[in-house]
Amino acid sequence: MADRGSEGSDRRRIGVYVCHCGGNISDVVDVEAVAARAGADEDVVVAWHLQFMCSDEGQSTIEQDVRELGLDRVVVAACTPSLHETTFRRVVARAGLNPYLYQHANIREQVSWAHVHDQAAATEKAARLVEAAIAKAALLRELDEVRVDAVHRTLVVGGGVAGLRAALDLARWGMPVVLVERSNELGGHVLRLGRTYPTDEPGRALIERLVSQVRDEPLVEVRLSTEVCQVTGYVGDFHVGLRAVREETDGHPCDEEVEVGAIVVATGFRDHEPARGRYGFGHPRVVTLADYQRRLYAAEGEADPARALGIDGPVRAIAFLHCVGSRQVEGVDEPGASGRLNTYCSRVCCTATVRAAAETRRRFPAVRVVDVYRDIRTYARDQEQEYRRAGEAGVVFVRVPTDERATVEPAPREDPYPLLVRTRDTLTFGAELEVPVDLVVLATAMEPGPVEDLVAMTKAPTGADGFLLEVHPKLRPVESAIPGILLAGTARGPMDIAESTTSASAAAAKVATLLAGDQVEMEPFVARVDLSRCRGSGECVATCPYPGAVGLQDVELDEGVVVPRAYVNPVACKGCGACVAVCPNGAVDVQGWEMSQYLAMVDAITADPAGFPRAIDPSEVTTG
Amino acid sequence: MDLQAQTNARSTRILVLASLLCAYPGIDATGQAHLDYPANTYVLPTPDPVMFPESFYWHCFERGIDGILIASCGTDSPYEGSYERLAARINRVYRQMKERGLDIRRLRLTAICSVCTKAFVKEVGDLARVVEELGPVAAELARGPEPVGSESP
Ligand SMILES: Cc1cc2nc3c(=O)[nH]c(=O)nc-3n(C[C@H](O)[C@H](O)[C@H](O)COP(=O)(O)OP(=O)(O)OC[C@H]3O[C@@H](n4cnc5c(N)ncnc54)[C@H](O)[C@@H]3O)c2cc1C
Repeated sequence: MADRGSEGSDRRRIGVYVCHCGGNISDVVDVEAVAARAGADEDVVVAWHLQFMCSDEGQSTIEQDVRELGLDRVVVAACTPSLHETTFRRVVARAGLNPYLYQHANIREQVSWAHVHDQAAATEKAARLVEAAIAKAALLRELDEVRVDAVHRTLVVGGGVAGLRAALDLARWGMPVVLVERSNELGGHVLRLGRTYPTDEPGRALIERLVSQVRDEPLVEVRLSTEVCQVTGYVGDFHVGLRAVREETDGHPCDEEVEVGAIVVATGFRDHEPARGRYGFGHPRVVTLADYQRRLYAAEGEADPARALGIDGPVRAIAFLHCVGSRQVEGVDEPGASGRLNTYCSRVCCTATVRAAAETRRRFPAVRVVDVYRDIRTYARDQEQEYRRAGEAGVVFVRVPTDERATVEPAPREDPYPLLVRTRDTLTFGAELEVPVDLVVLATAMEPGPVEDLVAMTKAPTGADGFLLEVHPKLRPVESAIPGILLAGTARGPMDIAESTTSASAAAAKVATLLAGDQVEMEPFVARVDLSRCRGSGECVATCPYPGAVGLQDVELDEGVVVPRAYVNPVACKGCGACVAVCPNGAVDVQGWEMSQYLAMVDAITADPAGFPRAIDPSEVTTG
Repeated sequence: MDLQAQTNARSTRILVLASLLCAYPGIDATGQAHLDYPANTYVLPTPDPVMFPESFYWHCFERGIDGILIASCGTDSPYEGSYERLAARINRVYRQMKERGLDIRRLRLTAICSVCTKAFVKEVGDLARVVEELGPVAAELARGPEPVGSESP
């Protein structure tokens, strides 16, 4: 087993705490046996099992043991570390230890919940994971957070409803903002939506209200027709190049540079454009839902449907088609311009479509309205009523089988209607329907906005769907993997206005806490060079994808000889560990994830080749 | 499962190198959904499996890890170019495994996202079946490569 540190023959003083999680763990795992096995380790001073480690009692037990028994490392075996690792680091710190002398073992999500049907195997696995955690804990080092001076200004990219909300919130937190919008006006898609659910407020009115607040806010500086052309630096101190949008921007240098502590990306979405001919797209009587809503709203007093909708000819029947470019299925749908199949649901279109269909019936009662759908997903509060109301208003629903698609074709010349919608309808037991209509409205998907350039500049990752990717969809939904780069609104995926502004407010609050002090604190999980091993091969520099994160510098050895040696800039390092694997001398490690710690864990997991539980003598150990 | 396979399943060990941002929460979600997978599976979180040098895999095999599942973020990795680097490294490990007579199916490179519960169950299940079939790694390492002439690396 790897050498357990610098204290010579002195053993570590590790405390191990196994959580029952009120039965969530202990109903499957024999926690007493796990604690007993942990207690058998020579480095373990105390091994308890308690009902709830995260409770006050659990936390104070640890604190007390650290103080009274002089523990120098703590291991807790409980739920997933994403829930309580930070809790226990704080406990350890309160007790006077460095918070990084703490190791977590996940025996709930990855043991008791996964192996309910084999309690013996679950207990064996839990015991081994705890032994591995002890082995790693023995090799943990004290670490300090990386600190960077914070610039108290934020860049918001995108002036749609999400960007506007984020900018306003930031200003209200007292934070200066530069708001960059690529087009020549603020508002994004909402500006052109007509009446929007759930309030019925016209999109333009909503935007005008936000924009006037932004204009009155001295802390927000708006740059229209401007785009980001370069991003360097790191959380707390990004240097962002801006330039005016021109016909030909390629290769044009940046016009100016702004220094900001954080970046909120609120670049929104792009409307899906079906392939020409698909669902009749390109035919003058086939329009998108956004276009249709706009027409409806522009002529609100007009009772004649043709005049209201700007159609040359009678309007007697309209078909609405859901899921155009959303929830695409391989083998059934063709990829659009992006080359990707949009397998996701665009979420807002169902409610927007059934509302537009119902409004059409209410305003033009003589017009027949057919709503052609696969599933109705009016998911949010009160939205189900929109669906019900559409039915009450006389909208006829037709349900397409999931692996089939409706088609839209020009009708033969002699037909009284210009278009024919064909589909099978599962609501009438698979009947083949042919619906003649004057107009087809396509509820087109929300697709990822044009963020390729921003992604290249910031390294903020995108998901398989092309939208910007959050760190964790539930636990860290507005943070990108790049510290200091936050995501707001539909840049992250399809959302309605309320969800977009909620996420924008969350992103603003994150920035406000991040930049609240004079310095930004970052986790210390970055690369570190062991100069006693480094021979200056430069392999780490060659492999590192992040400019300035690792480099070589001259170091004078004892004899006055100057040699190149690697160094890490902790604020630019992202902690991926690419450098660790390529160092021929094993001189680089990621702090908190050191290779010697991994080897020790593997050794602990494989310690007993028989694979059956070792005999335990409970009298040897202290248990709670 | 026959008796030999049962013995193999109990005495073999599978290591999962799980990327912290994708696979690790995906494996948590698998547990949350109470989806069963073999209990001889040990998950080690890592910022990115690109950090492990070739020698790490050999340490694992030599210590008796019978199968390794690399549960990376794939091309969704938040770290630029890391998947390509990782894939190239694993190819080198495969060559070394062939040279030393180890069945390369013992090492499996996959991408598991934070909600990919079924994909994880499938991948780890497939690997477990391979390991069951092959038996402990130690025997295969002891046998060494096929005699020269039968297959070149
Ligand atoms: C047909 C349809 C109907 C809808 N109806 C409703 C409804 O009734 N109710 C509802 O709540 N929601 C509705 N929505 C959803 C609503 O449109 C979105 O929730 C909202 O537009 C999201 O705002 P956003 O700021 O995230 O993105 P966007 O509105 O797309 O704004 C993004 C802004 O960023 C700018 N930008 C992009 N890239 C850059 C860059 N690189 N640099 C600088 N600026 C950039 C763009 O020019 C744009 O101004 C509907 C959507 C559709 C498609």
